Amino acid sequence: MKVTECDKVVGITRKFGDFCPKNRRADLRLNEMAESDPNPEEYLELLNENGKSLAAYVHTLVSDRNDAEDILQACRLTMWKKFGNFELGTSFIAWARKIALHQILNYRRSEKRKPVYASDPAFIESIADEIDRQSESLSIRSEALHICLQRLPENQRRAVLLRYYEDCDIDEIARQTKRTEGAVYRLLSRIRGALNECINQQLQSAS
Amino acid sequence: MNWENIDRSLDGQLSPEEWETLERAIIDDPEMRREYVERRWLHAHLIAERDSLGSLLAENNLAEKPRQPWLKIAAALALLGLVGFAVSSQSVPPTVATLTEAEGCRWEGSDLPTKEGARLGIGTLALAEGMATIQFDSGATVTLEAPAVLEVESTMRCRLVEGSVVADVPESAHGFTINTEKMEVIDLGTRFGVTTTPIGGSHVFVFDGEVKVIRDEMAEAQHIFGGKSLHLGAAPTTPDQEISREVEPIAQDGNWTAVSTAVGRGKDAFVRREDAHGPTGAQPVLMVKHTNLAPGNERRAVLTFDMSAMPDHEFEAARLTLKVESTGLGFSSLVPDSRFAVYGVNDAQLDKWSESALTWENGGAFVSEPLDPGQFTKLAGFTIKKGSPNELIDVSSDALRDFLRQHKDLATFVLIRETGELDKQGLVHAFASREHPTDPAPTLWFKTAPSE
Repeated sequence: MKVTECDKVVGITRKFGDFCPKNRRADLRLNEMAESDPNPEEYLELLNENGKSLAAYVHTLVSDRNDAEDILQACRLTMWKKFGNFELGTSFIAWARKIALHQILNYRRSEKRKPVYASDPAFIESIADEIDRQSESLSIRSEALHICLQRLPENQRRAVLLRYYEDCDIDEIARQTKRTEGAVYRLLSRIRGALNECINQQLQSAS
Repeated sequence: MNWENIDRSLDGQLSPEEWETLERAIIDDPEMRREYVERRWLHAHLIAERDSLGSLLAENNLAEKPRQPWLKIAAALALLGLVGFAVSSQSVPPTVATLTEAEGCRWEGSDLPTKEGARLGIGTLALAEGMATIQFDSGATVTLEAPAVLEVESTMRCRLVEGSVVADVPESAHGFTINTEKMEVIDLGTRFGVTTTPIGGSHVFVFDGEVKVIRDEMAEAQHIFGGKSLHLGAAPTTPDQEISREVEPIAQDGNWTAVSTAVGRGKDAFVRREDAHGPTGAQPVLMVKHTNLAPGNERRAVLTFDMSAMPDHEFEAARLTLKVESTGLGFSSLVPDSRFAVYGVNDAQLDKWSESALTWENGGAFVSEPLDPGQFTKLAGFTIKKGSPNELIDVSSDALRDFLRQHKDLATFVLIRETGELDKQGLVHAFASREHPTDPAPTLWFKTAPSE
């Protein structure tokens, strides 16, 4: 596969957002790419703080995991290019979501490969509206998730790791854990149900 | 239509038609939409949290943690609309591993503690000499072989910048991941080794079990099973180079006079049973390995010194020095302390071998097993300890001295490793050859009577 300069920068931004905010070489590369002359450290700090939240936003709107990752890469690059327009002090995540939504809607229009579930723009927009409406409670839910994950019993932890860490499909998990696909689906469904319930309890006890 | 289909959509269990129906229902029905977003948000967050899942769900975290007070505060503030998502769960730097063995190690440029028994947080370990063992809190054990640079990232993740590691991963730590520049190696219950070189090549060897390898340029993960390996990027063999070495015909140091394989008609090379690349005479290192597990990897070195460079042969003592080099091939933790033997070649016909032509195939007496005691005499031996630094080996014996006294024209030696390995991915030892750009070639030293 041909790797373009642009891909490389996206790769670097991605790596950086996730792991190493102090990478000097990447700073230089980022500077070459930006439209104006914003401060990369500020950008990276904001990206670090909001990266997971933005990722969750995109994965909520885009059902195909690979599409979502592609879109997130494109977002990080676009956000950096436009970072000069971002007003420090305003909500970075709100700004980032706007860019992401634009990317998602455009991505659908330009993408030739059919994902498993094609999504109607009307659907994406209605979900995006719903997220905006629930924005505050959703961000608290994200925080509570950590605590709830740690309360899962061992067999459920393994299932979560296989599904979300290893990114295994249901049939792969079934093979690895020697269960039927139906049993794996029910287990995952039960785990998500338990997590949502735990999160709701956390929210109640916190409020 | 019911909520179960929402859940099924998360795992790709809906048919495209069912999905379309669900989509319609979500657009039309606010209650459905609210429910979808709540469930989908959890699913999306689990994906977004992928990197921290390993450490969050590691077995040692099984016990319930005390309620974290910041959560309440964050939740309260967020309800008031004062903060968005700025509270990070990583505000206290956690320790994720312990440096369990670090005997005889020399470190450089590490921002983590390097004392044996130290608790390690997130940061970099740069091992210059020796072999160190890191026990991650997930249960995974990683043995680092110098020279190596490793970044510790979490109880379930580390990044190998350069060098070799061997990982032992118990069931509790399945999913333990080692990243390199080229790929991500995810354990699925196993013992495996990863090596990566500064020029960008990466190797994965799976000794037992199974690992999954993810690469940027590949859409699909690759699974590698016990006994198999995967190699990516630049070949680990050192490229051929033009060497311009100022050859001092004879170096003198006090009463000691030196003759290296770079002097006069001197020559050095190694042979490998399954030659893949032809004669090795021009390579900067001489590789030596003995193995019963992968006989094709057996390697021996042949050294010839031009003794006519010596003005007289009445020396009192003789030594052979060899500079140990890293090959980047194989793992030293899989090789016990290794014993080497130096054999002298008695048959002058054998001195006539050619650096540009010698291979295992045409190596004749040099590659016979065992070496014919009529043609070869064992003169000396030495040991390289497991994980030891790249020292200068210095061997001497009366037998070596007597052998050299008798060889006034050319003196040829065969260097073999007598000990094997525990696994066929064990270390290949190497010594600087006369083509090495910086390190000394194999050298004989002769002690002569002080001149008047």
